[in-house]
Amino acid sequence: MTIYSLYIYDRHCTCVYYQDWHRTKRPKPAVEGGILSAVSQAVSPITPANNDGLVTSGFASPRHTLSSNTGVVVAVGESKNQLPTAPQTQPFAGSSTAGLPFDEEAKLVYGVVISLRNMVKKLSLRDEQFVNYCTSAYKLHLFETVSGYKFIMLSDPKADSLRFVLRQIYVGPFLEYVVRNPLVKMDSREQGIDNEYFRASVDRLIRGLSVFA
Amino acid sequence: MTIFGLWVVNKAGGLVYQRNFADGLAPLTSNEYLVLAGTLHGIHAITSRLSPVGSSSGVQVIEAETFKMNILLTVTGTKFVLLTSLADTSADTILQKVYDIYSDAVMKNPFHTPEMPIRSDGFDTRIGTLIGNGQT
Repeated sequence: MTIYSLYIYDRHCTCVYYQDWHRTKRPKPAVEGGILSAVSQAVSPITPANNDGLVTSGFASPRHTLSSNTGVVVAVGESKNQLPTAPQTQPFAGSSTAGLPFDEEAKLVYGVVISLRNMVKKLSLRDEQFVNYCTSAYKLHLFETVSGYKFIMLSDPKADSLRFVLRQIYVGPFLEYVVRNPLVKMDSREQGIDNEYFRASVDRLIRGLSVFA
Repeated sequence: MTIFGLWVVNKAGGLVYQRNFADGLAPLTSNEYLVLAGTLHGIHAITSRLSPVGSSSGVQVIEAETFKMNILLTVTGTKFVLLTSLADTSADTILQKVYDIYSDAVMKNPFHTPEMPIRSDGFDTRIGTLIGNGQT
């Protein structure tokens, strides 16, 4: 049993966050302009700024953490090194990238989820939500917030419903490090919500689950 | 455990058979069922390409809050879709039996045109005895 990936979409149908764990078939990096900035460093179009793997300062960076040389104290007593290192620091190390480009994949995932959501709403007598679907290789779970954010997770097909996990991500890391983070421009349609604390916090939450092994 | 309905979708995504058993889902017009079957056909194709690990089949079970759709894809591309309550566990065996009945009563029927809507009393009655009023 394991967890493969997490996608977050905003109400404008755009992917604002992506993270993956045990994927053996990774997506290719998105084409230039295919996805917003600050969605995931691992799938961003490859540019010289991304290749050095270092976070530059301010808003130009894919992550919203100000570096210390800007003179703004973001957090005291917590250095980057203490955070669990994200598995994407070395993009695509040791896994094949035979999949689709990430921007294509993100659109397909959203399309499938929206079509299924509409189908379920049509078939149901009351206003019912689509919860999950499974194939022979994976299971997709959906949690939608009132504000239109969609949390989508891919896991092992034998996993139970992981809706509560998606809700935990929303209630915990998402509210704390995205909604309450003044440096994240939510709903901007220009950039994603990726930042170091959110990524580390989600990573910790997922790795702590019993289905993650 | 309740069985709400059965759809048979041909390999081109057209709905060739649709029948409701128990109440519990919204009654739709035949046009709406056709649209849903077409959508499902498309979704089925996309889901097999989204696999995070190696190759995958298309979607097999779709769950909502009170019902689920169980999908059986045959090697010839025909899809059998059974709409049941969440607690139902017999869907796979029923779908397999429906496939058996389809092979017997539809494919061996010399008056049936392949890929066209199923109008066969034999199929209807045998499905009726298999599923009844949808309560198990």
